[in-house]
Amino acid sequence: MTTIEAISLKVRAGERLSFDDGLALFRHPDVVALGQLANEVREAKHGDRTYFNRNMRIEATNVCVASCLFCSFAKLEEGAPGARTMRVEEAWRELEARMDDPPGEIHIVNGLHPGLPFSYYEELLAGFKRIKPDIHMKCFTAVEIHFFAEHYGMTYAEVLERLRRAGLDSLPGGGAEIFHPEVRTRISHDKANAEEWLEVHRVAHGMGIRTNATMLYGHIETFEHRVDHILRIRALEDEQPGFQAFIPLAFHPDGNGMKNLPAPTAVDALRTVAVSRLLLDNVPHVKAYWVSMTPEVAQIALRFGADDIDGTIVHETIYRAAGSRSPSGLTSEELVRLIQEAGRLPVERDTLYNVVKEHPRAVMPESALKVRDRKAAKHLEVLS
Amino acid sequence: MTALVQRAVEEAGLSGVLAERRRAGTTHPEHLALLRAADLLALGALADLIRAEEVGAEVRMYIPPPPAVEGVFAFPTDGREWTGLELLREIAIARVTGPRAARVRVDWTGCGLEIAQIALGFGANELAGYLSTKIGALIGESDLTGVGRKSRLELASVAKKRELAAFVRRASRAPVFVRADGSRETIEEAPSTQEAT
Repeated sequence: MTTIEAISLKVRAGERLSFDDGLALFRHPDVVALGQLANEVREAKHGDRTYFNRNMRIEATNVCVASCLFCSFAKLEEGAPGARTMRVEEAWRELEARMDDPPGEIHIVNGLHPGLPFSYYEELLAGFKRIKPDIHMKCFTAVEIHFFAEHYGMTYAEVLERLRRAGLDSLPGGGAEIFHPEVRTRISHDKANAEEWLEVHRVAHGMGIRTNATMLYGHIETFEHRVDHILRIRALEDEQPGFQAFIPLAFHPDGNGMKNLPAPTAVDALRTVAVSRLLLDNVPHVKAYWVSMTPEVAQIALRFGADDIDGTIVHETIYRAAGSRSPSGLTSEELVRLIQEAGRLPVERDTLYNVVKEHPRAVMPESALKVRDRKAAKHLEVLS
Repeated sequence: MTALVQRAVEEAGLSGVLAERRRAGTTHPEHLALLRAADLLALGALADLIRAEEVGAEVRMYIPPPPAVEGVFAFPTDGREWTGLELLREIAIARVTGPRAARVRVDWTGCGLEIAQIALGFGANELAGYLSTKIGALIGESDLTGVGRKSRLELASVAKKRELAAFVRRASRAPVFVRADGSRETIEEAPSTQEAT
């Protein structure tokens, strides 16, 4: 029996996969077979249901004291070319301008700005809640929370409690990059390390704050580092549950310190989604983040283990700065169509995966069927 | 064939298609409806298996795309916008219903390199398309001097070909470039890739 067959038996028996299993999956040459296995798990957990939400990204400042090699977004200091920090009123206006069709979630990720008072962040959150009291504020990565704790002299719990009082509802999963020190010390040595990132999430989960987790793949890491990363997420979820979704993020090389590296390919994106789904038996959702992998590949990933395609985003700038060719936002109608075309059932969710609206399955237009039939006939003519 | 692929093909009701293909080298027209309705990944697994058995791991690459010739199934076909999933299904169906050892070609200028790479797992065995420099100038074979000092376009072409070859290797396949005169060119593997090959 080959390794992949042995692993498939474990998956079907509901047994947990090991580090070596994860490595074998990453190294397995047949990505379609991996996808099939991951799809079994995905369908057992979620059936055809595929989630998305109406969210809006805001990056209030790109000034950042960290010097991560993969980042094309950050500017080291205020006043540097391209450096930008929004006044809180400017940030609020982004929501006010969309109140005729408002998002359900605001997702804020910032640089680590050394010159702002902590009250800036509290005011930022409180202002959004004043404009739309039921909006969900998914804000500040664990790296930012760690920075706040060090910079303003608080514990993680104190930072999270103050932000929660101001309006924080959950944490995004960014800043995880690759946990293993062989990689992390080379690509992002001057921000929260793996243990600190995990501790922030441990504390947040303990306080009842739900979070996500990411992995930045496709740069200098090996498959061993990826498996190690995923299993650390799984271990924390065992110990202190609270992760909602795991989001593999493809490295994009433009304009950053690793611009000599090729970007990971679409096959690697599908492989990483599939292996993540198979290893993370205790994290409910795996996202095909369309900004990172393009909407076209994200759509295919919905058959390789992913059950969530993220949200409308509206105005993403971090991946755009790194050369992503994805649009900066998609409408909810476009997301519904992407999911329907994948043969899945679109479910609009809120940040905590409560169902907002279930959309119908796709109905194939007759014209499309006719075109397909003509193509089929052409193939059969050659055949005969 | 791994047991995993065999199981997927069986569960999708495609075992008969595979058996007929192996026995007679054809696919019965009545099977077409089955293929259209089959789970995409099971269909992809079947097409990939047939591709492996009939044409092996080699991926022939053409730059720029050669003129259409009889018997080559070229995708995406003109006239409509395809989703990636539709394209993968059509490519897989072409592999399964086409003649034995068919040439199934994907043009990356029509669907993007990402989808073209994925299509290699769904039965495709040829890639075609244009190369361009960073400023968008097309690179064709006629741009290459082939003698003496290499032109900038030639250097760009070599770099792009290396990238393309890496794309194919990362899909666990073996790239070969085919020139307009039919001669073949292989590109050495880049020193380090972190993806599976």
